[in-house]
Amino acid sequence: MRKVLVLVPFALDESQVAYREAQTRTVSLRSDVTFHFKPVKAGPTSVASPHDWLLLDIALFEAGLDAEADGFDAVVIDTVSDSGADALRSMLDIPVLAPGRASLIFSLTLGRRFGIMAQWQPAMVRYEKVLDEWGLRSRCAGVEHFDTPPDFANLITGKEDAVFPKMENACRRLIERGADVICLGSTTMHQAHGYLSSALEVPVVNPGPLSYKLIEAMLSLELRHSRNAYPKPLVPKSEMVHAMLDAAARASGV
Amino acid sequence: MARILVLVPFPLDPDQLSLREKQLDAAPLPDGVEVDFKPVKAAPGNYVSHHDYVLADMSLFEAGLKAQDDGYGAVCIDTVSDSGVNALRSVLDIPVVGPGRTQYAVASMLGRTFGIVTMWKQWFPLYEKVLSEIGLANRCTGIRSIDVIPNNRTLMAGKDHALPLLLEAARALVAEDGADVICLGSTTMHEAHTFLQENLNVPVVNPGPLSYFIAEALIALKLSQSRSAYPKPLVPKFQMVHEMLDGAVISEGPA
Repeated sequence: MRKVLVLVPFALDESQVAYREAQTRTVSLRSDVTFHFKPVKAGPTSVASPHDWLLLDIALFEAGLDAEADGFDAVVIDTVSDSGADALRSMLDIPVLAPGRASLIFSLTLGRRFGIMAQWQPAMVRYEKVLDEWGLRSRCAGVEHFDTPPDFANLITGKEDAVFPKMENACRRLIERGADVICLGSTTMHQAHGYLSSALEVPVVNPGPLSYKLIEAMLSLELRHSRNAYPKPLVPKSEMVHAMLDAAARASGV
Repeated sequence: MARILVLVPFPLDPDQLSLREKQLDAAPLPDGVEVDFKPVKAAPGNYVSHHDYVLADMSLFEAGLKAQDDGYGAVCIDTVSDSGVNALRSVLDIPVVGPGRTQYAVASMLGRTFGIVTMWKQWFPLYEKVLSEIGLANRCTGIRSIDVIPNNRTLMAGKDHALPLLLEAARALVAEDGADVICLGSTTMHEAHTFLQENLNVPVVNPGPLSYFIAEALIALKLSQSRSAYPKPLVPKFQMVHEMLDGAVISEGPA
């Protein structure tokens, strides 16, 4: 039996984490691999500014630091921002899956150009950064948002009727701009995947479930990130990172 | 039950086919996944010229045309040239997996860059074609060949001398070209995978077995290629395609 740690980027309670865990029930997974969800200790309230991205990086880094020592065989980050993934790769010898870059690159195996559906205007800049970092701009038909503030705790629960049609419209704008494949811009949109897949005539990539299937494949094929791309630190400071997040949790009154 | 059809790009006898099927031993697929290997009816002698590429496309296209009707949930092609993939995608609704584009995508998830190690230089244009198609050419930092003529039927048999050469070429890709990940330049090199992975400290992607896992993932995720990227023909000519390959078999004479 192999164990995968899924890192949740917000300090959520049990019932809120359950909305995230529901992603594992949307796809058939191997019976010999189990997925365990763990929220960060503290972090930003939104994901809209370099201030937020930095806090998210260190929060997720800290949450996954001990994964290997705790007996996990792999780590998946439950955010397409891929926050913390690079730092974790530099420390861990088990595979660390970053669903953002994985879903964009994977979509290129299904069509010529992908379109990204973002949550709202403040989220747009993050995708611009990713497209430049990965040199994927020529394969991106566009980024469109559905103008709805995110709810990182409850996701779309209870707002389906109002939100799903707005999401569909954003996807249709992407298709008009030449997208062959739609990438959901956040794992928090997973509740809309079934609706959008039925409504749209192009494939819709659901980054969370895709990341579970990819990590299954990587575990079976004994693949993990290259140490050349993610070298280990000369002076690891894991204790310092833990102390920083403990302090952050106290500062947020958790 | 997920059924996957792997199309083999040469008309092989059972012993030769079993060398291809050995790729299944690389890693256990999830329970309930069934994989069948099917060779094409006729093929080019090898894959070194545009003459060969067009024949390869036709033969693999024909071999996979009925896969969906035959109850398969996905098709894989047993060549990193991804020959026939685009045409098959245009007529099948089930996912068609090209191990070339798939391994470059997965390598890009494991490192910043990757390199391709291969048997001979004559295959370079095939890599360049697929890399351009998928838009990841900028992530490939090098392609190195050992210039040992491959045998598409007996694979690495009798080629033990090739293993240290492949290792040397892969090391040069890492040390001199800056590759973070090594991709194999042919599914026929799968017999060298374990040796290379044991002797290199970067990931080595084995394209054939990877393609089976990705096919299973696509079935589980209910994902397939985009119809807008691979539009259906207005006038399908399946019967003509089958008859062309039957004609090719007659032209080749008894095996």
